[in-house]
Amino acid sequence: MDITGGLLQGFAVALTPANLFWCFVGVFLGTVVGVMPGLGPPATIAMLLPLTFQMNPTSAIIMLAGIYYGAKYGGSTTSILLNVPGESASVVTCLDGFAMARRGRAGAALGIAAIASFIAGTVGVVGLMLIAPPLARFALSFSSPEYFALMVLGLAMVVLLAGRSLVKAVLAMLVGLWIAGMGIDLFTSTSRFTFGHSELLDGIDFVVVAIGVFAIGEVLGNMETREGTQMLPVPKGLRNLLPSLEELRACRFAFLNGSVIGFLIGVLPGTGSTIASFMSYGLEKAVSRHPEKFGTGVPEGVAAPEGANNSETGGALVPMLTLGIPGSATTAILLAALILWGFKPGPLMIQENPALFWGLVASMYIGNVLLLVLNIPLIPLFAQILKSPVYVLYSLIFGISIVGVYSVSGSLFDVWMLAGFGLLGYAMRKLDYPAAPLILGLVLGDSMERALRQSLMMSQGDLAILVSRPISAVILGLAAIVLLVPLAKKVGEVRP
Amino acid sequence: MIHWSLIAVLAFAVAWTEPAAAQGFKPSKPVDFVVHTGPGGGNDVLARFIASAIEKEKLVPVRLQVSNKTGGGGLTALAYLVEKRGDPHTIGTFTSIWITTSLMREEAKVTIKDLTPLVRLALEPAVIVVKNDAPYRTLKDFVDAAKQTPGQLKQSGGSIGSRDWVVRQLLTKHTGAQWAFISFPGGGERIAALLGGHVQMMVIEPQEAGEHIRAGTMRVLAQIADKRLPAFASVPTLKEAGFDVRTLPVVRGVVTPPGVPPDVLAYWEDVFARLARTATWKKYLEENQFEDAFQRSAEFAKFIDRYAEEMRGILGEAGVKVVR
Repeated sequence: MDITGGLLQGFAVALTPANLFWCFVGVFLGTVVGVMPGLGPPATIAMLLPLTFQMNPTSAIIMLAGIYYGAKYGGSTTSILLNVPGESASVVTCLDGFAMARRGRAGAALGIAAIASFIAGTVGVVGLMLIAPPLARFALSFSSPEYFALMVLGLAMVVLLAGRSLVKAVLAMLVGLWIAGMGIDLFTSTSRFTFGHSELLDGIDFVVVAIGVFAIGEVLGNMETREGTQMLPVPKGLRNLLPSLEELRACRFAFLNGSVIGFLIGVLPGTGSTIASFMSYGLEKAVSRHPEKFGTGVPEGVAAPEGANNSETGGALVPMLTLGIPGSATTAILLAALILWGFKPGPLMIQENPALFWGLVASMYIGNVLLLVLNIPLIPLFAQILKSPVYVLYSLIFGISIVGVYSVSGSLFDVWMLAGFGLLGYAMRKLDYPAAPLILGLVLGDSMERALRQSLMMSQGDLAILVSRPISAVILGLAAIVLLVPLAKKVGEVRP
Repeated sequence: MIHWSLIAVLAFAVAWTEPAAAQGFKPSKPVDFVVHTGPGGGNDVLARFIASAIEKEKLVPVRLQVSNKTGGGGLTALAYLVEKRGDPHTIGTFTSIWITTSLMREEAKVTIKDLTPLVRLALEPAVIVVKNDAPYRTLKDFVDAAKQTPGQLKQSGGSIGSRDWVVRQLLTKHTGAQWAFISFPGGGERIAALLGGHVQMMVIEPQEAGEHIRAGTMRVLAQIADKRLPAFASVPTLKEAGFDVRTLPVVRGVVTPPGVPPDVLAYWEDVFARLARTATWKKYLEENQFEDAFQRSAEFAKFIDRYAEEMRGILGEAGVKVVR
């Protein structure tokens, strides 16, 4: 079937009143779930799964997919307003988003996040529609050595995330890598750094560390310095609640960068939206004319990661729909749902169920528009939160953080760890250690170690496997450039 | 305390009434259905299906509420169930991970022995596949190739103690061939590694394999099942292919906390026995190509003991440290 015909058929399916309704239900639930830290799309979809047995499968997948991409819109809200990452992919958004809020541009940041999400979300669907099968085949040529190279490129970003001191950034990153190594080792089943606690066998959840270091650490730091009293200027008037033309113009490249990087990373089964948002932020900073301003509240710093984590959704659906390969927790449960509804996910599914595939694609175009319309009017409402007095705001941040962490695992042990990481975040602020490299190390450490060991098992211990494969060699070359260019610049500055 | 003595009296009364039919107990509030995986995991999907099937067939007067107790390599859910000692309103899905963690983890303060097995529901068969353009037509071809180039061929799979790991341990021991076992945390990554040509072989669920075989991207060499699956009628079992090894199946079942009164146990046993006879359940088994393998509490307990002993032997031979 050609694309025009398919798309027409898809819109015919997606525009029926029932499917339109379920699409709205999905994106609405997604927004709510995204705004609340902790509870994520996989848990929500699992809870709703039994309900869908009585539904038409096409309507059901339209709704569940709506939750999936809708959550990515909401995720930025608490990151920007409260420095509490709403979901793991929104950690990077905290860096410039919260800084914008502190400058009184909370509304603008939320607006940019929504627009970036809309553009990238739509680009993701276009990619899914146009190039899914060939791209899925290309993604298969990626294996452990390529993933390792990709993680190395990610870690090289530390030079971009570093503040004044590269040494401190690298130290923070090493702590992140160490935390990532905790728990059961996949290959030998040895327990590492569990100190006899069964709670640590699966390692430490990323959300606990991110919320602790960012949100709790931030609040503790502000409470001490008492700068909190004039911390958050209240935006006045509609003009100040929305992004200005100038800000939007600054984001032109970021919209594109986020869309493309997010989609490509999403297609690879071994990565995820958190990595995509870090990569996109890093690239944005690397090509920026004013990289030194990143972290102080530049709009591109919000647009790039928010775009990346939205188009990642379209990318992640590529291997799932074309090959039956799940690339993330959410696509895994969508796949299980398809089987329960009587579909057979695999290489032939799209061909044999065109109405399902094209209906889903068309509904995602509609869903992204719905989300934009839904989210823009919410911005002034959410921005009002910042009008509350500091003692209310801080209590709110503590409350949301604790509830968010507890809702992930239902374990008090995690809440105590949250407190511990809050103190770590506070100490890091006091000693001027940047928090982002720690999170970067934590996100990449696990997959990087795994990919390296898998590669070496494949080559029987020969390190040459990392550079003898063309894709892996190219990515490692990029990593070297990322590391060397700033150094070269420094050398150039010293000797003009 | 009143609660406890009441249960004791009730248990006593039921033990005296012959036969110990499921008359005494009926759940009076929503039942906590504990699962060790997060949303979307194999047992989670199963539990949610069971909950909705039981509701649909009106087998229980209250709702079954799935609760995910993730973490600790399955130990969080195990410990939670043990804490619910004697609670008639808590059940959980069984996982063989509890057997391996009980054997391997010093951190485990409670073990599978602390739970009461309720029913075994199904066994999941599997098939051994290679990529469609691989030179191997039979499992023997693959094993012979592995003998000629020891350690060069690769299999993608899960972690130590998983079914695909066990299959590889037993086959290499049985034949003397050697090939690498590369662990991937997610099923998707294992399939991607095979389809991309980065590994040569894997053990996969029949449902997933079926679609790839139909599309011509994978070829099946043998099936890990006692008798041939209907969907793979032309494919030999391991034994038929000339490899007489007894592998460990993937088991789906249900457990209760320890110390549950006999009438409660009988009630739940009866609920699941009735569920297993429904058309809804049979259709589910068929769609997923699971083997109907219903066993009641006492038999299931014996099955778990045997499983644990075999696993202890296999782990020991592989040089994995067994702590208890």
